[in-house]
Amino acid sequence: MIITDPTGAKKLDSSMSQNILNPQDFTLVIHTGPKQEIARPSLSYWQDAWIRLKANKQALISLIIICLLLLFTLIGPLVWRVDPAEQILSRISESPSLTHSAIVLPPLKPFVAEVIPTIEAAPQADGAILPAPTNLEWLDKPSVQSVRMRWTPVNGAAGYLIYRSLEKPRGGFWGLPVGTVTSGNIVSFEDTFNLKPETIYYSVLAQNGATSTHAITREITLTPGIALNEARVLQPNTQPGDKIDYPLRPFGTDYLGRDLLARLMSGARVSLFIGLFAPFISILIGIIIGGLAGFFGGATDQWLMRFSDFVLGLPFLLFMILFRVALGKGAGESGITPMLIAWVALAWPGAARLTRGQILQLREAEFVQAARIMGAKPFYLLIRHLLPNTFGVILVSLTFAIPGAIFTEAFLSFIGMGVAPPTASWGSMCNDGIQTFLTYPHEFLTPALFISIAVLAFNLLGDGLRDALDPKLRSTP
Amino acid sequence: MLGTEPPQLNSTRSTDQESIFLLGHLMEGLTRYGKNSEIIPGIAERWEINDQGATFYLRHNALWADGKPVTAHDFVFAWRLVVDPANASEYAFIMYPVKNAEGINTGKLKKDTLAVTAVDDYTLKIEFEKPCGYFLGLTAFATYLPVRQDFYKAHADRFAADPQDIISNGPFILTRWIHGAELTLSKNPRYWRAQQIKLDRIEVPYITTDLGARYNLFRDGKVDTLGIGREQIDRALADRLRMQSHDDGAIFYIEFNHRPNRPTANLHLRRALRAIINTSEYVSRVVAIPGSRPGNGLIPQWVPGIKNRFREEFPLASHTQNIELAKNELELAKNELGGSIPPLYWLTDDGPGTARNTEYFQNIFKNHLGIDIFIDKQIFKERLAKSREGKFDIVSSGWGPDFADPMTYVELFTSWNANNNGKYSDPKYDAFIRQAQATADQQTRMQAMAQAEQIALADVAIIPLFERTVIWAHQPWVHGIVRHVIGPDPDFAFVTISKKN
Repeated sequence: MIITDPTGAKKLDSSMSQNILNPQDFTLVIHTGPKQEIARPSLSYWQDAWIRLKANKQALISLIIICLLLLFTLIGPLVWRVDPAEQILSRISESPSLTHSAIVLPPLKPFVAEVIPTIEAAPQADGAILPAPTNLEWLDKPSVQSVRMRWTPVNGAAGYLIYRSLEKPRGGFWGLPVGTVTSGNIVSFEDTFNLKPETIYYSVLAQNGATSTHAITREITLTPGIALNEARVLQPNTQPGDKIDYPLRPFGTDYLGRDLLARLMSGARVSLFIGLFAPFISILIGIIIGGLAGFFGGATDQWLMRFSDFVLGLPFLLFMILFRVALGKGAGESGITPMLIAWVALAWPGAARLTRGQILQLREAEFVQAARIMGAKPFYLLIRHLLPNTFGVILVSLTFAIPGAIFTEAFLSFIGMGVAPPTASWGSMCNDGIQTFLTYPHEFLTPALFISIAVLAFNLLGDGLRDALDPKLRSTP
Repeated sequence: MLGTEPPQLNSTRSTDQESIFLLGHLMEGLTRYGKNSEIIPGIAERWEINDQGATFYLRHNALWADGKPVTAHDFVFAWRLVVDPANASEYAFIMYPVKNAEGINTGKLKKDTLAVTAVDDYTLKIEFEKPCGYFLGLTAFATYLPVRQDFYKAHADRFAADPQDIISNGPFILTRWIHGAELTLSKNPRYWRAQQIKLDRIEVPYITTDLGARYNLFRDGKVDTLGIGREQIDRALADRLRMQSHDDGAIFYIEFNHRPNRPTANLHLRRALRAIINTSEYVSRVVAIPGSRPGNGLIPQWVPGIKNRFREEFPLASHTQNIELAKNELELAKNELGGSIPPLYWLTDDGPGTARNTEYFQNIFKNHLGIDIFIDKQIFKERLAKSREGKFDIVSSGWGPDFADPMTYVELFTSWNANNNGKYSDPKYDAFIRQAQATADQQTRMQAMAQAEQIALADVAIIPLFERTVIWAHQPWVHGIVRHVIGPDPDFAFVTISKKN
């Protein structure tokens, strides 16, 4: 054992000079206690990084979220077997709901408005305020397909206005004008517009020049129903009057009655495909170019780096459009391939610069010098010693590029340059949802939430990876 | 509040809803529309119309905003400008009832042969090409407005480009126009009926197509009128807005490209697409604006016919979905088109609800017929340009009436009409329209137009989708807004304001 303590060494010296030792002074001591062990196992770079990453809660949670997102994307559609393009028009813009059932409605007979020939169709307007019609009654069986009504006419009316409301009309507020009858002798009306299973108040007002201020109001509660042709899509052989269970819509439906969960899953495929694939390829290219430039240096370095500066100055959006044209993608076709090509072609210089910087630094390091002296060939040096030591930095820049790519895809789909309908992506779903944001917020919020979570998770993981892999931070436990 | 910047305030060239709305308030023609959308005297005090021509007697107290009198010469100048091929007015065809107008517009006749003469300063004499039963309605239309020669010449290229380049003779003058952002119209004190105009100012403070933004502005009291889209109906109900409906006479339809190299030139394919569409489901679930009606023909419900409404006199069977027929026609189409149907390009604009409309049809065509639809979404201006150039297979279009006669709809699909973007052309159809245009006999005219409509429907020249109704609301302190089916809509000329509470 080498004694490093200078004070201890002095003590020994002084005792040695004063006493002369004899062989009797020495006895054989057999060590019976526990042997000294190496306290910590030897760790590779990656094992060490993994321990550090595990200690970082944020990064760990992000990693779990990313794994869940991948499961959601890859396994989800196998478990949740709903066609994302299937439209159920009786369930437009439904909020998230648990399963419920509906009665299958018979096909509608054509509606013919009832005309009473003995009444004048267009009497002279005398400006008098007309009384309300009486006896508002329902015809056939009102359903969410159609509500048909008739009333007893008012003398002197030249037509009627029909309103519907979700609350009891009061203070001159009748609700939504669902129709106008432009003849005094027509006394029935059919409302088919987007009826939902809820309680509705119908009001009928007579008009002749001035609209009457008196109305007859009657309420009706509609029960869930589904049109026969739609029911047969869900369950073939269904008959009118049957009760069928609506399929579960845990995230609600969109503006055409499509399942939001299924659309989120298929949208994730586009978003994550672009998000992972585009940065991966572009960084691979960056590593090759940066590695060559850093390793060979000199003129090669100059040319490659000036070229990468040039590429860095090219505008992404313009090139994306140019690639679209070059690939012969017409309007209305998917812009995913041109987007991928444009990203790969334009995003590599960042990774190339990083790699080059690392390689320049490592090239002069002692272990590389040693390997060189021992006769390692340049290619071997690059593959065995230089590139593996840049991986940390590369991985960090990869995780930071992923959210950028997800965001670009979302943005391009949002402005209509990305996926083509009916394919969904998170960005295009946001674009569709924002128009109804204040009425049906779930159509916008769910895809927006998914984008936010994915982007945040990749960012935090990138942060954690940087802390875990950065050699400068390695000495601190 | 307007949806878009008015593209053209030069009355001899405007074609769009926004410009016609503004011109209707700034200008006055020989006649204008009254409170119940009836024709009332405008600059003309009285008139005589027969099969050969018309004479209009102008009032002596009508002035331009700078104090000069409005004379018959201003009309002659404007109308000559409309038909002048150099002016390239898309609406020149609406002047064709005037003798020699078509000849001048197509370059066959000299410009000064237009049969409109100013007998004196206050008498305007018009000769007809053929008897025209609806001429009086035309005189209220924007293209027939007067333009003053000295003012037009003085402003030349800049005419109607900015407030100082416009001179009014109507109820309002344009006092402020920040392009793309806002406009202000102020009361014109020199308007001959000025004491009847109660409104001091019309402000257009915002120009946006975003229906959600418009709704919020209305709720905050920043604007006084509001058009309510399908997405806002539920909110408007919850907010207890006093909603009204207005049947604006516009028809919406699917227009096919009939140019020979297009798959949609195939009759069987068009029949298959027509048969698969369920218009009543589409209207009640997808359009979902109450009051809209499934479209069956070229001519909507409101149009007057011989004595009653045209549709009552010449009824059409309502269209029903027929999947069997669609599949049979599809097989025939496949045989003629060489085995398969290529993907079809569907041109549309970025207005509210287009995604919903086109994706609905995309799904139906794919599910039942296996036809792929590529949706080509463009801004409105670009959509107009592309449809004019014929760069589409299918385009969703709409048409609003210019005058109260079926002719305003059926003339659209004649081979000579500049707005016939699909280039539908059928000699029998053209012949019936020519026949209807050649006579003033209502029976013969209506009969011919009904027959023409039958031909177009049998040919599936277009697929009628629906007749529009708009839901709108106004603030409680605004009274007397008039909605017209034809002419400037909405019309603020009769508006009064009560105290805001």
